[in-house]
Amino acid sequence: MPQKIRFIRNNKIIKIDEVDSNETLLNYIRTKLKKTGTKEGCSEGGCGACTVVLGDLKKNKIIYKAVNSCIMLLPSLNGKQLILVEDLIYNNKLHPVQKSMVKFHGSQCGFCTPGFVMSLFSMFKNHKNYDDKIINDSIAGNLCRCTGYKPIINAAKNLNKINNSDHFSLNNQKTIKLFKLMKKTKKYLLSEYKNKKFFSPTNVSELRKILENNPNSEIISGGTDVALKITKELKTLTSIISISSIKELNFFKINKNFIEIGSATPLIDFQKIIKRYYNDFYEILLRYGSVQIRNVATIGGNIATASPIGDTLPLLLSLNARIIIESKKNKKTVPLNKFFISYRKTILKKNEFIRSIIIPLLNKNIFKAYKISKRIDDDISSVCGSFNIEMKNDIINNIFIAYGGMDEIPKRAINCENSLKNKTLSESSINLAIKKLEKDYNPISDARSSSKYRMKIAKNLLMKCFLEIKDNNNYRINEY
Amino acid sequence: MNINNKIIHESKSHESGEKHVAGSANYTDDLLEPEGLLFGAIGYSKCAHAIIKKIDLSEVIKSDGVVSVVTINDIPGINDVGPVLPGDPIFPKKIAEYYGQPLFAVAAKTNEQARKAISKAKVDYKELKPIITIQEALKNKNYISKPKKIIKGKPLLSIKNSKNYLKNNFSTGSQEHFYLEGQVAMAIPIEENDYLIYSSTQHPSETQKILAKMLNQLDNSITVDVRRIGGGFGGKETQSFIFAAISTLLSYKSKKPVKIRMDRDDDIIITGKRHDFFSEYEVGFNDKGIIEGLIIKIASRCGFSTDLSLAINDRALFHLDNTYYLPNISITNYLCKTNTASNTAFRGFGGPQGMMSIENIINDISLYLGVETHFVRKNNFYQKNHNNITHYDMKIEDNVINELFDQLLKSSNYNERYKKIKRFNSKSKYLKKGIAITPVKFGISFTTTFLNQAGSLVHIYNDGSVHLNHGGIEMGQGTHTKIAQLAADRLGLKFNKIKITSTRTDKVPNTSASAASATTDLNGAAVLNAIDKIKENINNYVKNKYKINIENVVYINGKVKFKNKEFNFKDLIMEAYLNRVHLSSSGFYKTPKIFFDKKNFKGRPFYYFAYGASVSEVIVDTLTGENKLLQVDILQDVGKSINEAIDFGQIEGGFIQGSGWLTIEEVNWNSIGKLTTHSPSTYKIPSVSDMPNKFNVNIFKEGINKEDVVNKSKTTGEPPLMLAMSNFFAIKNAISNISENKNYIQLDAPATPEKILMAIENMKEKNNEIK
Ligand SMILES: Cc1cc2nc3c(=O)[nH]c(=O)nc-3n(C[C@H](O)[C@H](O)[C@H](O)COP(=O)(O)OP(=O)(O)OC[C@H]3O[C@@H](n4cnc5c(N)ncnc54)[C@H](O)[C@@H]3O)c2cc1C
Ligand code: FES
Ligand code: FES
Repeated sequence: MPQKIRFIRNNKIIKIDEVDSNETLLNYIRTKLKKTGTKEGCSEGGCGACTVVLGDLKKNKIIYKAVNSCIMLLPSLNGKQLILVEDLIYNNKLHPVQKSMVKFHGSQCGFCTPGFVMSLFSMFKNHKNYDDKIINDSIAGNLCRCTGYKPIINAAKNLNKINNSDHFSLNNQKTIKLFKLMKKTKKYLLSEYKNKKFFSPTNVSELRKILENNPNSEIISGGTDVALKITKELKTLTSIISISSIKELNFFKINKNFIEIGSATPLIDFQKIIKRYYNDFYEILLRYGSVQIRNVATIGGNIATASPIGDTLPLLLSLNARIIIESKKNKKTVPLNKFFISYRKTILKKNEFIRSIIIPLLNKNIFKAYKISKRIDDDISSVCGSFNIEMKNDIINNIFIAYGGMDEIPKRAINCENSLKNKTLSESSINLAIKKLEKDYNPISDARSSSKYRMKIAKNLLMKCFLEIKDNNNYRINEY
Repeated sequence: MNINNKIIHESKSHESGEKHVAGSANYTDDLLEPEGLLFGAIGYSKCAHAIIKKIDLSEVIKSDGVVSVVTINDIPGINDVGPVLPGDPIFPKKIAEYYGQPLFAVAAKTNEQARKAISKAKVDYKELKPIITIQEALKNKNYISKPKKIIKGKPLLSIKNSKNYLKNNFSTGSQEHFYLEGQVAMAIPIEENDYLIYSSTQHPSETQKILAKMLNQLDNSITVDVRRIGGGFGGKETQSFIFAAISTLLSYKSKKPVKIRMDRDDDIIITGKRHDFFSEYEVGFNDKGIIEGLIIKIASRCGFSTDLSLAINDRALFHLDNTYYLPNISITNYLCKTNTASNTAFRGFGGPQGMMSIENIINDISLYLGVETHFVRKNNFYQKNHNNITHYDMKIEDNVINELFDQLLKSSNYNERYKKIKRFNSKSKYLKKGIAITPVKFGISFTTTFLNQAGSLVHIYNDGSVHLNHGGIEMGQGTHTKIAQLAADRLGLKFNKIKITSTRTDKVPNTSASAASATTDLNGAAVLNAIDKIKENINNYVKNKYKINIENVVYINGKVKFKNKEFNFKDLIMEAYLNRVHLSSSGFYKTPKIFFDKKNFKGRPFYYFAYGASVSEVIVDTLTGENKLLQVDILQDVGKSINEAIDFGQIEGGFIQGSGWLTIEEVNWNSIGKLTTHSPSTYKIPSVSDMPNKFNVNIFKEGINKEDVVNKSKTTGEPPLMLAMSNFFAIKNAISNISENKNYIQLDAPATPEKILMAIENMKEKNNEIK
């Protein structure tokens, strides 16, 4: 039985009867809700003009997340609170965030402005104080071609002086009630419209069954990769299985030896956990897409996408991560370096899904990772290098090196690793190892960088890693 | 004169600021959609150079929701959107000349249906060899117009007699406008063959003209309306025409309203960008670095058609001197025709490219002599009373660069920081800091003299409120705000009594593009002209009625003050109305003094110059080429500012945009001429982390426009973009610290991490060779 999608907007539950599962939230907002404050700048999550905020109930608290509505499929709205730039106005008065933007001249042509307002609004709701780092992170996914950002930053800083209660806090209890009312229908969602099916199971056993019965479906987790097939490649996806409502896939387990993370855990949550163990991993996640992207994109999605420039992949490879793959009949653990076959191809079969990822905790090892890209924020790596080194009295007992952007898959540098094993960590051994990288990789030239540069960077990153260890000092420009 | 400084100098928020933040400011795609609206999409060439043998649209027509398709055969009139010279077909007749050139279009019931239908076309090409790069075009002598040569003084001889000599080459890259609002137009049939077109354009009058020609109709059958645009930067000065044309053509054929809103990738693929430039120079100079003779060849990639390339190249030549006196110079300019989108206006309009060429030469000279660059810069500056004639024979009468530059050296603590950086670099092996100070002198006016005119229309309603229109487009630069301030001041009214509505061709005719930084100068003056005419009507009425003297009437604070009598503005207006006084007027303005003899490249193309200077300090990771802006100090001459907040916004935004051009923004084509950087994921404009840690922007206090420009202000439209040159040269300065032999740094713009690292590697190799 097809079901309705329900969401909260302006203190009401709204139902959509007929849901085209290939419609984007942005399209729905602009053409069906006829609210045109939310803009389209790119349709691929890269500019932030379409930013809206989704509220979700977690442990009796409403969590506000900024998302790119241009690459969110409409069914993902189910069970959420939708907040648009128009909805910030209350009693005909601008919201404090909006007022601050006007006061500090945060808009010029104004086209990017609603997106910035929404990003700042979610910052306003999720934090108490807004320091430079928080402000920067909050708006790194919004492009402005006019202002040069300074007035927007000033507007954001000014919010520190403003009490952060607003009409959303005022209506908090009321909204929570509405959430609870909505969540009463527990059964998984199935929508079918114009021969397009959308499944949203709520537990793993349902997922297994649906996958078995609909093997030609597309699993969608955060959708930051899948949605582009619709908006950019203009494909029609006739059967979609969303795993984002499955709690069993959104978890983390930590013990002495490893962390296990559910595959549908958004990167924004993952980054907080990994920070405690591998700081460089965290630093790279901070530069992964933007808050809007990380609010939805998942660790499992990044792995299954199997892109040669997927940022978590070289890091996970060098940490010897394993993944748990499941189907209706089977469950297995596979080392990540056995997962990738060729360009964006993996060993995953049609009826299988990734359940979780296991990352060993090696607190005695040295772990370093570097992402090199043209731009600091929201850019795809030219090269990403990751180094995991176990020293035993000045001798390299074990070393795991992996790079992204150097081959059609993210890959370990086996020759290079071998040449370093059981050696001292010295300039001469590193220089030898550097040469081996040419045996390990044969990178391509593309829009982002040339093959020559990629190889040079790969070599220099190894050198940099060595120098940082030798001098016991980090050489990073972002610390200035 | 009445100067109500309160309104003028007040940093008023943008007139649409509250609407921007509320999401209620309408852009073209946000307008209420008329009944039966269709959505257009454009099919384009997938070859850079090919004979089009056949376009089979049978599957397109059958595709879901398609109502109409158009090709070249559906154009009743002239198939050209070229702004100056013909040569920009809407659809090409036989030969596709770039990858992305529109070939046909469809209108369908939804945007998705239209886009999906496009992919069903079958186009048969016979491929021809494309010319993509400047080098290929130079080799094949493939030009859009004959190379141009300008000689002043005795460059050859001077170089021969100079003590020092250098020869090198340099290039600057292209740049995508990346206006946040993509190209969009909506055509609505009115009656008979009249059309109303909403277009995101910087140039409604030319849009009107082109559409009329296309339909073989008179200009008076087309009305173009533009309330605001979501950024232009030159990218909607001419590049918007084709979208307005195609939506109108689809509307003409289907008899329905049609909207085309471009997908971002297609927008970037179809439209032209900033011209990339390549230059080769020979320079002779003395030991102080003073340039005695310069021979420079300068070539630009124009793309497949002329568009605005002639004027853009001219402006590059006009700015080859930047702030430097070049008595002996020979310039040869090549306008390369390539199989790429037709390059076009982009903030600075060739000026930045010309200035980068000379700044690079100055930088090379300093490295050669081992003298700090700011000395060499100062030694070459134009002076007030001598060394003040440009290479196009214009006498510079408003030069402030010497004092402005010195002020900035001091206020930025340049010398101290320079020493500090030296100390840092001597201790830091892999991370190197660099610093540079660069000057800017930018000429204001359209270099095509007749474009320097503007019109306005002002109404005072009998409740005392004011409605005005002018020819300028509000694209974020704040022209409506500044002009409303000027108008409020001239009428002695509060800002909120003035309303500026859409720029429309039926309100103010024959306007020039909002470009060349002159929008407020020209249109502001035209508005004041209209207001003065209305005031004259009112004053004359008072004179006749009350028999009082009307010399020195003051309009201030809602009052009109005559010598012995005072009125409330509102009351006086009603009274005037009841006594049948005309309270509406058009206005006009043309820039005085300017002229230019194109043939001999001589004259006074500019009414005045805007000056500025900036200091950038950067840190570079010499192992990866990554870099970061640590501090920027800017001093900009804005004359007497109308609205400082807007000027600051233009300066900061311009700097960051220029920084993007010179560092991370890289436009790439593959070998068959397909653009590979056509989305925000492959083309990177600056984001918040590209802001400098410290960003000190100041306005030159002594600034005043010597010429009679509104409020004695100077524009801040284009000039600030070029302040970013210091960012590039600070990077170059940082990497020069790697080696003793500094002469060998070859760094082209944009200085991406890749280019920086490769420059470092080359330097190291050359050093090893020497050793
Ligand atoms: C603006 C933008 C910026 C980006 N920046 C970065 C970046 O900096 N670094 C980077 O690495 N990537 C980046 N990406 C790419 C993208 O975020 C990743 O590919 C992302 O990890 C995908 O995660 P997701 O949950 O959104 O995946 P989805 O789009 O939901 O799915 C991606 C693929 O994985 C499959 N899949 C998802 N989950 C599972 C599962 N549990 N089991 C089996 N298959 C599954 C899907 O079927 C699909 O084929 C960016 C993307 C965008 C749009
Ligand atoms: S439209 Fe650009 S991020 Fe959505
Ligand atoms: S104000 Fe124009 S893009 Fe931000």
